[in-house]
Amino acid sequence: MTTFLTNVFAGLALGSTYALVALGFVVIYKSTGVINFAQGGLLALGAYLGYTFADNLAIAFAVSILLACAAAAIVGASVERLVLRRMVGQPPFAVIMITIGLLFVIEPLITAIWGFDNLPLANPWNIQTVEVGGLVLGVRDLWTIGITAAVVVAFFLFFRYTRMGLAMRATAFDPEAALAQGISARRVYATSWAIAAALAALAGITLAAGPGGLSPSISFIALAAFPAMILGGLDSPAGAVLGGVIIGLAEALTRGYQDQLFSWAGANVSLIVPYLLMIVILLIRPYGLLGTKDVRRI
Amino acid sequence: MSGARGTNRAQGKPHRNLVRSYEQDLRLFGSPMSKVGLGLMLATLLVLPTVVRDDFWLSVLIYSGITAIGAIGLNLLTGYCGQISLGHAFFIGAGAYAAAVVGGDLGLPLPVWLLASAAIGAVLGGLIGPFALRLRGHYLAIVTLGLIFIGEHLWRNLRDVTGGNNGTSVGAEATVGPVDLGALELAGENYSRNQGYFWLVWALVAIIALLAKNLVRTRPGRALRAVRDHDQAAEVIGVRAGRYKIGAFVVSSAIAAMAGALFGSYQQHVSPDDWTLLLSIQYIAIIIVGGLGTIFGAILGAIFVGALPALIDEYSSAIPGVATEAGGDGFISVFALNQAIFGLLIVLFLVFEPRGLAGIWFRVKAYFKAWPFSY
Amino acid sequence: MTRKIAALALGLTLVLAACGGAGEDDDGGGGSAGAPGNTAGFDGKTIKLGVLTPLSGTVAVIGQPLTAGNEVWFEALNAKGGVAGKYKVELVQEDTQYKTDIAVQKYNKIKSDVVAFTQVLGTAPTLAVLPQLKTDKILAAPASLDALWVREENLLPVGGPYQVQAINAMEYHFTDGGGTTSDRICTMIQDDVYGEAGQQGIDFAAEKYGFTVTNTQKFKVGTENYAGQIGALAGAGCQVVFLVATPSDAAKIWGTAAQARFAPQWFGQSPSYTGALAKSAVAPYMQQSVLIVSEGTEWGDNSVPGMTQMVADATQYASDQEPDYYFAFGYNQARAMTAVLEKAVELGDLSREGILRASNELDTVTFDGLTGDYRYGATEDRNPPRSSTVFKVDPSKPFGLAKVKYNFSSDAAKEFEFKKADL
Repeated sequence: MTTFLTNVFAGLALGSTYALVALGFVVIYKSTGVINFAQGGLLALGAYLGYTFADNLAIAFAVSILLACAAAAIVGASVERLVLRRMVGQPPFAVIMITIGLLFVIEPLITAIWGFDNLPLANPWNIQTVEVGGLVLGVRDLWTIGITAAVVVAFFLFFRYTRMGLAMRATAFDPEAALAQGISARRVYATSWAIAAALAALAGITLAAGPGGLSPSISFIALAAFPAMILGGLDSPAGAVLGGVIIGLAEALTRGYQDQLFSWAGANVSLIVPYLLMIVILLIRPYGLLGTKDVRRI
Repeated sequence: MSGARGTNRAQGKPHRNLVRSYEQDLRLFGSPMSKVGLGLMLATLLVLPTVVRDDFWLSVLIYSGITAIGAIGLNLLTGYCGQISLGHAFFIGAGAYAAAVVGGDLGLPLPVWLLASAAIGAVLGGLIGPFALRLRGHYLAIVTLGLIFIGEHLWRNLRDVTGGNNGTSVGAEATVGPVDLGALELAGENYSRNQGYFWLVWALVAIIALLAKNLVRTRPGRALRAVRDHDQAAEVIGVRAGRYKIGAFVVSSAIAAMAGALFGSYQQHVSPDDWTLLLSIQYIAIIIVGGLGTIFGAILGAIFVGALPALIDEYSSAIPGVATEAGGDGFISVFALNQAIFGLLIVLFLVFEPRGLAGIWFRVKAYFKAWPFSY
Repeated sequence: MTRKIAALALGLTLVLAACGGAGEDDDGGGGSAGAPGNTAGFDGKTIKLGVLTPLSGTVAVIGQPLTAGNEVWFEALNAKGGVAGKYKVELVQEDTQYKTDIAVQKYNKIKSDVVAFTQVLGTAPTLAVLPQLKTDKILAAPASLDALWVREENLLPVGGPYQVQAINAMEYHFTDGGGTTSDRICTMIQDDVYGEAGQQGIDFAAEKYGFTVTNTQKFKVGTENYAGQIGALAGAGCQVVFLVATPSDAAKIWGTAAQARFAPQWFGQSPSYTGALAKSAVAPYMQQSVLIVSEGTEWGDNSVPGMTQMVADATQYASDQEPDYYFAFGYNQARAMTAVLEKAVELGDLSREGILRASNELDTVTFDGLTGDYRYGATEDRNPPRSSTVFKVDPSKPFGLAKVKYNFSSDAAKEFEFKKADL
């Protein structure tokens, strides 16, 4: 039972990270119709900015997180302003490739500035643990879950109750009608990129605060968050969070019971479980768990 | 090719080479100019390896040629049929392993292992296509992304075929009957392995380009484009969109597998590290830079993307702030710069020249065709 | 432009020479003990050596310090006059991005400009260029400790292969470590060639010492969550775990183990460790539970002459170089290549065949205690060092490692046979 709970907890922590990244994907997709492959680059950038604030400038960790998220948001909005805005109206394929191109630009920039070495991010969590009812829980994992939950709630409140949130929903629903109502589509696009980048930065910093430290390969995690987004449904924020948690749990539990149940499938099958799960779900529900049903079958 | 028959005489010869009838539109190589161009290109391919004997440039061009073959396949699927696949690397890998078994372990000659790997690619494409193509646009892109990861898991675990993590040596020799392209001997003259492979690969590029061109200029090609532009509308005018999508997927996979077989045969050793997402992305970049929906563009793009890093290397010492060796001075190393330029190129092409290199070429051609009138 | 034409012309003549069959560029001047004649990569004054290494991408974290190690050795050598006191060495570096096709292209790019390759990094890139090395009769030094390389004529490995480290780790455990063969011994390995090499060593030791491997966990590089693997190891009651990883994964693995309060005796294969770990939050756990099995001595250990020299050279020629395992590896590798070059100069032939012959006739090369002496020579006579050093983590040391047992070789490690692989 303890093993099971430990794995569930690990899955929740991992799933939280996936959820943050996937939520970023969905925010951008919902308002601009773009799948942002550069999300991993933004995640790494945010984490490295956090490192600069926390270690080089010795700013308190909590403040560093906020600063890094803000800085990443500015980068995200500028990317939208400088590159993506020119692509409005282009086929989705072209826009996907633009974001892949951006990823290729961001990664060498990061290594040019911060180098290739593994950097330790100064943080209060590291490998601290607390014991709850016989279960040993990592403080970092607890914070990751907690912060994700808080951010998700804040996000939904923002989306539901603020003018900007309303504007975003309206633009996602019908851009032209929204424009006719005096909503600035430009501001909506820039805001969604800013939000997505800040979410990515948050995910990046919580990841880097663990014992592994910070290395350029941190951006890979974004690839693993793709299934989470697809699983939940491309245009559903709630789906992204749900998808993230499901994928995280599935991965951690498969890994936990690899020896007993999955040894026939080869080592590390847990890493492809998210993709397998995604494919199976898509075959049954081609629009994801909570996505809008607009996929036409012909 | 005999499309121009009669029409010219009936209508009187125009002073310019304009397309005036359906048959003319169907011609593979219509104008005398393009026939001359084709002849020149073939001559270049024949002569080039005997002039450029430098192994570096030959190997760059061989890899570019192999990539061009794969890119033609992807362009059929993505450029013509509009289906975004990030799973191309999976089929390339499958083709390489097929060549290792058929050409290496069984020791069969070139035509056999090449066709066998194409067949494997087609079968895999036929198995996966119907499932994947139920999804559209973004969903398809990400599901095919999953194919890469699942494929990598298979390559690492199917040890008997793939050699596991170690990879496997590919003993598929480029032999046709008594002729060994790896050590060609013609009229008492010995040619190097690189020269032989250059001819082999680029001859195959020519053949596959011709076949693909033939495919897209006729009914299937028009049907593919109709599906790309609007699949429901295509269905309404009598195109079986589903079938054409799967067909394009199968053909593209088969061509990809052939590219993989050639890759393995030339490199003689392949491992699971060769078939990553990066490879798929590189292929997509190639067809974008070259030009979506053109066969010629796929080839141009492959040469451009293949040779560009070599050129940047060559001239990087002239760029200020670039370090050319480990730990050297400079803000960014030439190696990181290479990667950044690759990304920047994709972005710039999409923003400023969405039709790619082929688009530039067509514009230049159109300009001279209409000269002195600009429009 | 002129350079390109020159390169082209050179390429042309080479191909022509190759086409010509038997009478290849033998102007190197045979085995007479005179000055070696000019040849590809040698203009009578400077010897050029190739480096094929990832200088960008994720593996650059290994390629960069390793190449710095090559550079520092040769700069120090050049300051002393160079090979045989008169020929300076120059490195031609190319970035492989750790991709096989790029490696083959870059190999072709510089092969006619260099006499040999002093570094080819990575198992897959090495295997990809190996067929061509054989055809072109070029010698290359692979920068990985795979056992595959020992019996290859065209390769010049240094250091004891990973298997040796793993076997010696078990020897240490059963002698000084006070362990018994009834201990529950487990492995945690990276799912690639490097991981398999460590596993092979442990399996061999299991047979020799008569223990069974209780549990094996595999993981993929860059995994974020290790709770499953650690849980499985703890569940199997492992008392000893042999870890084959790279530092950023190792940090996460030990961090997860520390959080799970799972504290077996860990043995880490040398590349699992980096100096930064001793300053990280995992350090207290590592001090308590982790031993690193590697070669040579601790960084800055003045009782070992090779180390004194290396630190002095590093300070002089690469002042911002942090203590680094890969740096030391690159340094040793360059030393082995220098031994080959000295031999070739002695034989009066720096051509490709001359270098291969020199490698064949080379005897034992000593690394002054940085790694065990390597017996070179004909491939079937080659004998890699069988010695290892066990370190414990000590943050007060420059590289964070203090030696526990220096330079010992177990009988089992000596018995391990390196077979020629079918490559």
